[in-house]
Amino acid sequence: MSTFFQLIFSGLETGSIYALAALGIIIIFRTSRTTNFAQGAIGMFNCYVATVTLINLEVPVWVAVLVGMLTAFATGVFVDLVIIRRAQKVSSVAKQIITFGIIMIFTGLAPIIFGTMPLSFPRFILQGSLDLFGASISYNGLLNIAIGLLIMGVLFYFLQHTKWGLAVRVTASNDATARLMGVPTSMVTMGAWAIAAALGTLAAIMHAPNISVGVNMMENVQVNAFIAIVFGGFQSFHGPVIAAYIIGLSRNLLLFYGSSTWGEPILYGLILLFIVFRPNGLIGKKIVKKV
Amino acid sequence: MSNINALKIENLSIAFGGLKAVDDLSFHINVGEIYGLIGPNGAGKTTVFNCITQFYHPTRGIVNFKTSSGEVMDLVGQKTHNIIKMGLVRTFQNVELIKDLNLLDNILVGAHIHFKTGLFSNAFKLPNARKEEEKFAQKATKILEFLGIADKKLELAGGQPYGVLKKVELGRTLMSDPTLIVLDEPAAGLNDTETLELAHLIKQIREAYQCSILLVEHDMRLVMDICDRICAISFGKKLAEGIPEQIQESADVQEAYLGKKE
Amino acid sequence: MKKIIFSRYTKYILLGVVLALMPTIQQMGFIRSATITTFGTIIFYAVVAIGLNVLLGYSGLISLGTAGFMGLGAYLSTFLTENLGLPFFVSILLAVIVPTLAGILVGLISLRTQGMVLAIATLAVAEVFRIKFTQWDAFTGGFSGARAEFPTFFGFEFDRDMTFVFLTVLLVLLMIITDNYIHSSVGRAFLTMRVSEAAAQAMGINLLKYKLMAFALATAYAALGGALYAHFIRFSFPDSWNLGLSLQIVAVIVIGGLKTIMGPIVGSIIVFGVPAIILSRLPVIGDVDGLAFIFNGVLIIIVVLFYPNGLVHIATDVKKLFRKKRTEV
Repeated sequence: MSTFFQLIFSGLETGSIYALAALGIIIIFRTSRTTNFAQGAIGMFNCYVATVTLINLEVPVWVAVLVGMLTAFATGVFVDLVIIRRAQKVSSVAKQIITFGIIMIFTGLAPIIFGTMPLSFPRFILQGSLDLFGASISYNGLLNIAIGLLIMGVLFYFLQHTKWGLAVRVTASNDATARLMGVPTSMVTMGAWAIAAALGTLAAIMHAPNISVGVNMMENVQVNAFIAIVFGGFQSFHGPVIAAYIIGLSRNLLLFYGSSTWGEPILYGLILLFIVFRPNGLIGKKIVKKV
Repeated sequence: MSNINALKIENLSIAFGGLKAVDDLSFHINVGEIYGLIGPNGAGKTTVFNCITQFYHPTRGIVNFKTSSGEVMDLVGQKTHNIIKMGLVRTFQNVELIKDLNLLDNILVGAHIHFKTGLFSNAFKLPNARKEEEKFAQKATKILEFLGIADKKLELAGGQPYGVLKKVELGRTLMSDPTLIVLDEPAAGLNDTETLELAHLIKQIREAYQCSILLVEHDMRLVMDICDRICAISFGKKLAEGIPEQIQESADVQEAYLGKKE
Repeated sequence: MKKIIFSRYTKYILLGVVLALMPTIQQMGFIRSATITTFGTIIFYAVVAIGLNVLLGYSGLISLGTAGFMGLGAYLSTFLTENLGLPFFVSILLAVIVPTLAGILVGLISLRTQGMVLAIATLAVAEVFRIKFTQWDAFTGGFSGARAEFPTFFGFEFDRDMTFVFLTVLLVLLMIITDNYIHSSVGRAFLTMRVSEAAAQAMGINLLKYKLMAFALATAYAALGGALYAHFIRFSFPDSWNLGLSLQIVAVIVIGGLKTIMGPIVGSIIVFGVPAIILSRLPVIGDVDGLAFIFNGVLIIIVVLFYPNGLVHIATDVKKLFRKKRTEV
């Protein structure tokens, strides 16, 4: 039983990482109709910034994290101002292709600026663990789960209860109307890119201690985040987040009780089969296409 | 008498999230008739249209259609891409042509269901594929001649005037040998002269290709000009049906379009 | 009619002749030996790109699994020739068929809903492949790689230059075949689908069937390209088949020209040729890893935003510009 709880806790921790990444992608998708495949690359790049800051300036970990998230925020603003804003008239397929270009730029820049040696980023809390239900969970794991839940709580509160949140939701449901109603949609889109970049970076930093900081560090997280979005549905903000936690949990259970090498493929297969029968995902509404 | 109906719709209803877009609508189109479906904005015209062509699947009702082979068949529940095979073809409000292809190729798209050769024969230009392409290219050229735009046959669709594109879209429907053509607001975006020309063309199509036509239209002049019979709807319900004069005189129709008289 | 067919194929055959002459030119000492290898690379990536163009250019669907299916083709052909001793021709056929069937399975599940699900499903499939390639030592040689030989036809062993000519012939044949079906009811169905799914359905085009066909074609070309890679480069590492490679193939067709047959070869020269031949010779920055990636990434964005038809049209556009100026004068 203790193994089971151990798996649940680590599943929640992985789920938090996926959820942060997925939330970033869905925020951009909903506000600028772009499937941002560069989410992982931007996260990776700014995770490097945090790591290098930590190593070279010998600042506390939380300062490095803050620096990484701030540069991520700036990266998001930059990408929107310089590229996305000029791409309003191109098709959604062309926009996705642009995000491919962004991936290539960041994965090309990273080794030039930071070198090709993989770096390591420490845990927030180096040691100590808590015994719960016979399972031992590290303080760092607890912190990750807490950070994930806290950030998402704040974001959902912001979306539902503030003026800016309303602007985001209006832009998400119909940006042309939103513009007519005086919503500054270009500010909303820029904010979305900035926040998404920061979320992706936080996900990368939380993920970094498990692996090492390298160019491909976010590939697996990004795949799982996208699968979470397909699973949760493109039409809501909370669908993908819930799906991300489900994936985090079931992935860990499948890897342990099922097959350590085929657990992930089986999970992806099951989710894709699920959307054959429920094309709009867990939380999706049926959309009537206008023809 | 039912076998003379090109299309017979009975008790058609569809609701979106509790809102009844079409409510218990029935009408029929006789073979060879030009039939108009009119109504103010948001009356549910396009929804009716999409229910007939199975882009939407109605919650209730029957859409009996006399197919090319002469049998009567309920279209409800059929796959969208199979409708054209029965002899029913539609156009779109915002002409959906391929800009990178010439007019001839665009017309050829309409013959898609008639092409028997597949990927392999075409990849290696086998004789059967070549012959088939040749045969339909000739048919398409005839249609372009009929439309009076044969001289533009090899010009790209991108950059052509709107009037020409509308004609090409009509021509594309003819390639499938339809028995009923459903036109979605064909006059939208056309000026007065072009609308007149279109009215003439629609009548010509009926004569030359022996088909019935259902016109879903906003432009009253076009409808009154060419339709044999008209059905007016409002909020998904039938207001009046009859020859153009009857519709013009109907108090219900006037009210729906112009609002209640004080 | 004869004349039209003649002129339509001429450019492909001309291209083939020029490429096929390269080894001879090299032996005369005009170009470096490494350039032949670079151009061989350009050719098999162009093969892959022509296939992806059928999917992305003509049908408007995105796949991110290109590298995965290439890898599968490469390892299969290597395994079948080296470990099972099957003839080259049979191996390459199987190395195309098996990944294509796998692709069809992926497509059957992911093509039923919105278009972007294919992109995400193929991204996941490619990630699974990438991990499997490193784990499955018996099949891929793991991190030490898998070694293959140049092709052998009926006991006759090709050397590098002959393999290069063989690649060229294959490229030209594929260009002609692709041109043929793109200009038939099949290609028109792809294009109609891309413009409007509703219009395609109204014209009787079965969306699932044609999307699946386009994806199967893209997969088959990718697997073929991978198999050619294996027998020309003669070495495959699991790390080669990553997302970056899939993106470079996308870059090839976007930069070269979507919805064209010649675009992929132009794009392949820019994406794989320019970094290898020019960028790597630049002083100081030429040595830096990642420069090619930045170059291609920036180029993709610029082309999409400012020259969406691709660089293959540059010659005709420049000509047009000159003609206009002359008439204005």
